[in-house]
Amino acid sequence: MNVLEYVADRWDRLSLQAFLHVSAVVQCTVLAALLGVAIGVAVYRSPAGSALATALASTILTIPSFALLALLIPVFGLGADTTVIALVLYALLPIVRNTIVGLGGVDPAVSDAARGIGMSRFGVLTRVELRLAWPAILAGMRVATQMLMGIAVIAAYAKGPGLGSEVFSGLANAGSANSMNQALTGTIGVVVLALLLDGVYVLVNRFTVSRGVRG
Amino acid sequence: MTAGRIQFWAQPAAVLLIVGGVLVWVFSGELTATERSTLNATSLLTALKDHLLMTVVVTAIVVAVAVPAGIVATRPWARFLAPVFLAVANVGQAAPALGVLVLWFLITGASGGLWVAALPLAFYSLLPVLRNTIVGIHQVDPSLVDAGRGIGMSASGVLWRVELPLAVPLILAGLRTSLVLAVGTATFGLFVNAGGFGLLIDTGYKLNLMKVLVTGSALAAGLALLVDWAGAVMEHRFGPKGVR
Repeated sequence: MNVLEYVADRWDRLSLQAFLHVSAVVQCTVLAALLGVAIGVAVYRSPAGSALATALASTILTIPSFALLALLIPVFGLGADTTVIALVLYALLPIVRNTIVGLGGVDPAVSDAARGIGMSRFGVLTRVELRLAWPAILAGMRVATQMLMGIAVIAAYAKGPGLGSEVFSGLANAGSANSMNQALTGTIGVVVLALLLDGVYVLVNRFTVSRGVRG
Repeated sequence: MTAGRIQFWAQPAAVLLIVGGVLVWVFSGELTATERSTLNATSLLTALKDHLLMTVVVTAIVVAVAVPAGIVATRPWARFLAPVFLAVANVGQAAPALGVLVLWFLITGASGGLWVAALPLAFYSLLPVLRNTIVGIHQVDPSLVDAGRGIGMSASGVLWRVELPLAVPLILAGLRTSLVLAVGTATFGLFVNAGGFGLLIDTGYKLNLMKVLVTGSALAAGLALLVDWAGAVMEHRFGPKGVR
């Protein structure tokens, strides 16, 4: 049986795993974006706070994914909780960093003008600064999504959802007829899905970045 | 203080705290016989040796492949190769490391070992050094290259004594990133019989020995943070003085 026959034969299960993989990564990216933008907004005005937040997030990213996942197992058990926490933690760095850079890059004259026409501090943040920083934040989310697609493969070790279980079955069945098909499906599947998601980001960028900023 | 400065001081402290704390916690209590068979100096040192060996071999392959490839891709007669090399390295990084590792393991006959682990992990860790070598040489001011040629240096003389020294800071930054990728993905070594701290994690997980699992994770995390820190020191120390 070659790979294509294998995929066609197991389409029901594989399409579900593919869906769960993408769904976990997208949900974790959105969660990380909410958290990361909140952190970025909280610290971007203080250089020390920005440095501390970036250093912390960068340290998390240095920890091997397998080690972090394993550390979470005794606390949160096997399955979705552990996967979500690990993925959200890994997605933080690019989002926090880009939020800080994006908000810091807003021309102070623009914020002053917004205050000057009577907008509240909150209004300036949500209606001026965050909109101007949005392309940078979106770029951070894009990087995070690409990273999570790969890390989510390892989550299958802790019984997390997704295509990683194909890779692990291929490993466990080494020598059997379908082991190569399973490993190939899992690996190539993740690469293809990552490319598709990247395409979605291009569209999101096209439709959510305000026309004046797009240039 | 920049984020880099904070990490420079806080990271070794965090390593000491995590690794020391876990080791004290594990070895202060009574260990069962099964726990003792994994949590002893010999097996911990073996795991450390395997893990470090994998990291060093992967990094050596990365440097041996990516730096020459980057140099070739910036020569005027081979410029067309740069996008090809970058595309290959991009595929390597975009593919999930574990998937590539398992595929290579199956292709090579499912026997495993250090070299079976090293090649796919090097493929995965290639991009940072390759990209930074190309960018590093490209960003050298062309007038400096011209000046070098003008005072009578040969093309290879300019490469060795002008272009490469000026590209070193960027190459080292790429090397640090590759090192961190290598030490992190080396935790997967156990899946292809290459050992490393991943083996402790897996043993603890399979036999439900939480102390073994936590020790393996903490040591793997500690080593990665330490390697990243060593990379920062290396970047600082070995960049050419005139460029700093």
